[in-house]
Amino acid sequence: MLKINGLISGYGSVQILNGANMKVDAQSIVALLGGNGTGKSTILKACSGLIRSWSGSISFNGEEIHNNPPHKIVEKGLVQVTQGKDVFPAMSVIENLRLGGFVLNSKKKLEDNLQKVFNYFPRLDERKNQLAATLSGGELQMLCIGRGLMSNPKMIMLDEPSAALAPQIVLDIFKNINRIRKDGLTVLVVEQNVRMALLLADYGYVIKDGVIKVEGDSKKLMYDDTVKDSYLGGGGTTANV
Amino acid sequence: MFKTFKFTRKVENTLMLLFTAIFLVYISLSPDMNIDSLKGVLIIGVTVGIIYGLVAVGISLIYTGLDVVNFSHGEFFMIGAFTGLTVYNFLVDGELIYAIFPEAYGVVGYVIGLFFAFVLMGLFGVLIERIFLRPLTKKGGGYTVAGMGIIICGFGLSVILQNVAYIIWNPTAHPFHADLGLPINIAGITLPMTYLWMLVTGFVVAGALYFFLNKTKMGLGVRAVAFSKDISNLVGINVPLYISIIFGIACALAGIAGTLVGPTYQVVVYMGYIILLKAFASAVVGGFGSLPGAIVGGFTVGLFETACSFFISGSHKDAYAFLLMVVVLLIKPTGFFGVQVKMKA
Repeated sequence: MLKINGLISGYGSVQILNGANMKVDAQSIVALLGGNGTGKSTILKACSGLIRSWSGSISFNGEEIHNNPPHKIVEKGLVQVTQGKDVFPAMSVIENLRLGGFVLNSKKKLEDNLQKVFNYFPRLDERKNQLAATLSGGELQMLCIGRGLMSNPKMIMLDEPSAALAPQIVLDIFKNINRIRKDGLTVLVVEQNVRMALLLADYGYVIKDGVIKVEGDSKKLMYDDTVKDSYLGGGGTTANV
Repeated sequence: MFKTFKFTRKVENTLMLLFTAIFLVYISLSPDMNIDSLKGVLIIGVTVGIIYGLVAVGISLIYTGLDVVNFSHGEFFMIGAFTGLTVYNFLVDGELIYAIFPEAYGVVGYVIGLFFAFVLMGLFGVLIERIFLRPLTKKGGGYTVAGMGIIICGFGLSVILQNVAYIIWNPTAHPFHADLGLPINIAGITLPMTYLWMLVTGFVVAGALYFFLNKTKMGLGVRAVAFSKDISNLVGINVPLYISIIFGIACALAGIAGTLVGPTYQVVVYMGYIILLKAFASAVVGGFGSLPGAIVGGFTVGLFETACSFFISGSHKDAYAFLLMVVVLLIKPTGFFGVQVKMKA
């Protein structure tokens, strides 16, 4: 569904990605793992058009999408969901969700999608007239995911859905991600919480220094030492401690 | 060493109330004080205030949307006034309107003039944004070197637009003889119709803007882009288009304000300069970047200015707005509605 080939990109003149290759199959959950500053979020930003890709290609559903304007990419059905802090705090929950469906043209579709999102996250229905600034951390994350689902996407990319949340809420959110996949969506999830992400995903990629170091079935990756190394700073020096 | 001293919100509000009380007592001791003059000051202050408010809303919109303070906004006001005047003169001289509406040709011509000032200034604003500001905002607005560049460009643009207006309409003052009917009597005050038009149209436009921003899809997009361009990108809003829309709306508001002011004063090439500074003061008083704040700030500045020039001295009329701005900045730096001071240029 999503194919990334030799992607090179970065911010300003700083190169972050040094030719990353990835593939995400339809209706699967793929985890992209890596430590801080390895380029996980940069891949997502290049996919959703927030930053330019310098070379390489990104194709979605067989269409080349690299360096398309961001709203075109959303219209094609590829939506990035950022961390829970990125909502419009001065707007109500329902206005935030309506913004998620900004690319939809019919009112009926918007209402249908609203019902769908409330079905996934009943908490949002309870709080739909509250300002987003008054929500708790878990509710904000639900709002972000719900907003991503509003535009009828074919695939969503989640940027650290578990960041700074209590384990119970993380579990709840991950259950919902699994439900979203069962309903026919493709999910790419970027995570720091390796165990949870690999339990959820079918396939995993580990990124380090802007290139994919390891890939494989998530069950296999869970016991792979290189995964551990890339999180602990690599080099295998920690083995002696 | 100095200890950093910061007012709490409560102290700020108390000081503001104290300032208001002193001001009210001071003007009530004035020999001109009576109920009629007070009514007049109220009506004229609100009328002037809504005009300041409309221009200040534009400045605040551009500030939130483009991350820059637009110092050429007064020229859009001035060109808007000239547009309204030209359209009105063209229609009324052409006798076409007179043939169709012999009774109310002035009103019809003025309404069409207002409409054209609104639409043409909106389009002109979009054009200016696309040609002059887009290449600069691409490099980053706000608190960056490019952001400073945009501010200087705002001054430059202001000079250019003034000179263009110079060439087209020449530097003499143009009287705007809008034939809107006889002065009317409201609550014992005789008010020229031009003031009534300012008051009513100003409120209608402000109400329409409120409706647009809060009830329509495009308004929702405008608010989203004004808050964060990154999140707006992710939800599928065409951000460059919406930035143009924001600039266009702001210029259209300035244009209609210009045409509203035109008949009361005169239409001159230099009229944009002072209204820019007054609107700037209004935006600061109400809280920079806040739209309700801009309107409330407009009323505050308008009322304060009118009251001071009536009860204290009329010869320093233009100084009072800035006196109020300095007082508010000293006591309550965020203004009435400003939540936080953003790091923007």
